Amino acid sequence: MSTTFLPCGVYHQNYAQEHGWWQTRFIKAKMILLFVVLFVGIPFGADSYWLSVYNQVGYTILGALGVQLLIGFCGQVTLGHAAFLAVGAYTSTLLILEFPWPQLLIKWGLAYPLSIIIAAVMSGICSVLFGLPSARVKGFYLILTTMAAQFIIVDFIITQYVSQIGGRGQAFSLPPGTIKVGPWVIDNDLKVYYMMIVLVILCVTIVVNLLRSRAGRAWVAIRDNDISAEVMGINVVKYKLLAFFVAGFIGGIAGAFWISNLAAISPEHFPWFWSLWLVGVILIGGVGSIHGTIFGSIFMVVVMELLQLGIMPLADTYPKLLMDFLFIKEAAFGLAICAFMIFEPYGLAYRWGQIKNYFNLWPFSY
Amino acid sequence: MNLRNMCLKMFVLIFAVVMAAGFSATAGAAEVKVGALNDMTGATSDVGKDYALGIAEAIHYANDNGGVNGKQIKLYQFDYGYRVPEALTKYKLFKRLGAVAVLGWGTGDTEALSPTVTKDKMPYVSASYSGHLTDPAKTPYNLFAATDYSSNARAAITAWFDEKWPKHKDYGKRKPRFVCSYMFASPYCSAPIKAIKDQAAILGFDIGPDQDVSLFAIDTKSQVLAMKDFKPDLVWHGNTTMSVAATVRDAYALGLGADHIVNNWGFDENLPRLAGKASENVMGAAVCAFYGENVPMMDKVVAYGQKYNPGVLKEKRLVRTIQGWANVLALWEALKRADKSGGLSGENILKKGFETMENYDIGLNVPPLTYTATDHRVAGKVPIYEIADGNIKLLKVVDLKTRWPDKWAKEWIGW
Repeated sequence: MSTTFLPCGVYHQNYAQEHGWWQTRFIKAKMILLFVVLFVGIPFGADSYWLSVYNQVGYTILGALGVQLLIGFCGQVTLGHAAFLAVGAYTSTLLILEFPWPQLLIKWGLAYPLSIIIAAVMSGICSVLFGLPSARVKGFYLILTTMAAQFIIVDFIITQYVSQIGGRGQAFSLPPGTIKVGPWVIDNDLKVYYMMIVLVILCVTIVVNLLRSRAGRAWVAIRDNDISAEVMGINVVKYKLLAFFVAGFIGGIAGAFWISNLAAISPEHFPWFWSLWLVGVILIGGVGSIHGTIFGSIFMVVVMELLQLGIMPLADTYPKLLMDFLFIKEAAFGLAICAFMIFEPYGLAYRWGQIKNYFNLWPFSY
Repeated sequence: MNLRNMCLKMFVLIFAVVMAAGFSATAGAAEVKVGALNDMTGATSDVGKDYALGIAEAIHYANDNGGVNGKQIKLYQFDYGYRVPEALTKYKLFKRLGAVAVLGWGTGDTEALSPTVTKDKMPYVSASYSGHLTDPAKTPYNLFAATDYSSNARAAITAWFDEKWPKHKDYGKRKPRFVCSYMFASPYCSAPIKAIKDQAAILGFDIGPDQDVSLFAIDTKSQVLAMKDFKPDLVWHGNTTMSVAATVRDAYALGLGADHIVNNWGFDENLPRLAGKASENVMGAAVCAFYGENVPMMDKVVAYGQKYNPGVLKEKRLVRTIQGWANVLALWEALKRADKSGGLSGENILKKGFETMENYDIGLNVPPLTYTATDHRVAGKVPIYEIADGNIKLLKVVDLKTRWPDKWAKEWIGW
């Protein structure tokens, strides 16, 4: 059933209408405006600094989307997602730098786009491998098995073996001009931004559509009660592993995207803390909501930057304030999670829904 | 009004003020803005804290002594927690604020930012002394006032080979055996590995398997036992002081029987304090004087330390403060020269500032600085120190430039 409030007298006449993404002309206009802001307003209004902040928001959304799918929609708690981002980043980098692509593909700028797809599949497969224990364990125990992904993939396989390929400072330095999509060399924040926004839209579309499919229904059923889901005839293991694959797939895209923003990568770029951070993002944004992933990412990156800019004028009087800001940021992260759990357990997405309802129902909100 | 509504309104009010302040103009007049990225909370904060103090105190000194030809230096100093994404955003923030130069920190973020810095023509004086950053053909805007990790390691191995190996009981009977102990995942630690192995090969060492030791390590017995299988005569440590102290201690406890040389950021006054007896005879390169040594400019460093951070006792200070001062003093001189010769554009700071320095002495036992348009290694002479009776003493000065002139000139730059 549609969750959109329709104006009086407007009603659906078939299932396709009910499943439509944008069901009224007002919503279509809002979405067009949003796209204009995203593709025209922001790129022309933001300087390099803000573009860099938005690129980080995009990276966080791409990273958190898989975590949201696993935790929020399938009930599979994960704390090792940074490892799959690392697999994506390293696969893409290695393919660009070491794989003997046909000259034609390099000339047409297809090496990087193809490497993103391969990186995504590779990450998906790795994610499935670490999702296998989910067939037997859940909750706290699953957290530990997913954490193993960080130690096995990043700390062992990538650090000890993969990052040694080609020698230090050669294989994993990305010389300018290596990241190319078609004729465009991704060499500034604006181009990275456009790539980010396209990837975010694509990934969000994929996940939202998946959630409306049989698989999505199965994931939600598993999240709500896996025994009931099994009784209903859902192959629980198959769908859990499918969720791990899709989450890893999107994580791989996130990692492969991130290298376009860097000139060099090392395992240091994918610390375990990042997995925890991504879980914090969905907790603040709202568990079980795609909107929540986006709101959480914006909150964790943009709001923190604004907070920092806000205290900068005070730095003349309190010079150590800037230096100590990371402490404030870390504390704000912990405090925000506690505060959201207590006051807004459904996250920013729920508040967003309430605000929309207020306007939709006004003045007859009772 | 209930508590929840009150909290919500307060939050909205504070947020609005913060946003307004955030978007407000931050420009100031007659100031030279400089950004600084430091690590106070991350993996390298054991050495990063003191370095950060040194940076801030040295900027005060520069301002008290005329700033940049009368213009005060405005320092924007941030802790980035050794996180690369944070460093990328902060760098862009410095640009937005109008910084003319950046004082950076780690190797991972410095290398990740290097092409951007080159494109922006932003002088980036970092605490990463990675040899990769010394070739102006590749990284023209990366600089530092110290000898690089690769030169330091080559010199330290050579000093051991010259001074210690001839006294070994097996001297003349077999090749010396050598292993490296460092965090593989860290670009800082792994930056000089290729140069180290090259130097070990030049001197005719047998090279054993590298040992991966985390920057956070507090127990390294398994790595030391693995080293024991190879029976090394010499171990090179590439981490920072905390984990190096842990490894040296474990090596002592397990009777490894090898000598140790330590990369710059693992060799300081804290090493004998943390490792005690185990640190005896440990060698390392220091790129400047240790805190409180009787050398030119040290009186200023101590005075400014006491004035601006009286809570940090002189006895607790480290060589890291001096390293911070060295980078600031070099940048300050470059800014003054550039300002006199046409302005503070990035290109002027590089070409008419740094690259006009020839044997420029900033005191503090920093090697006289020479930057040329083709070589950003500051000097070929590297002093190697040794811990003896808990104190750090000069062992030998190795002149790589004179000893291997061809290799120094043609081969070794940039790795």
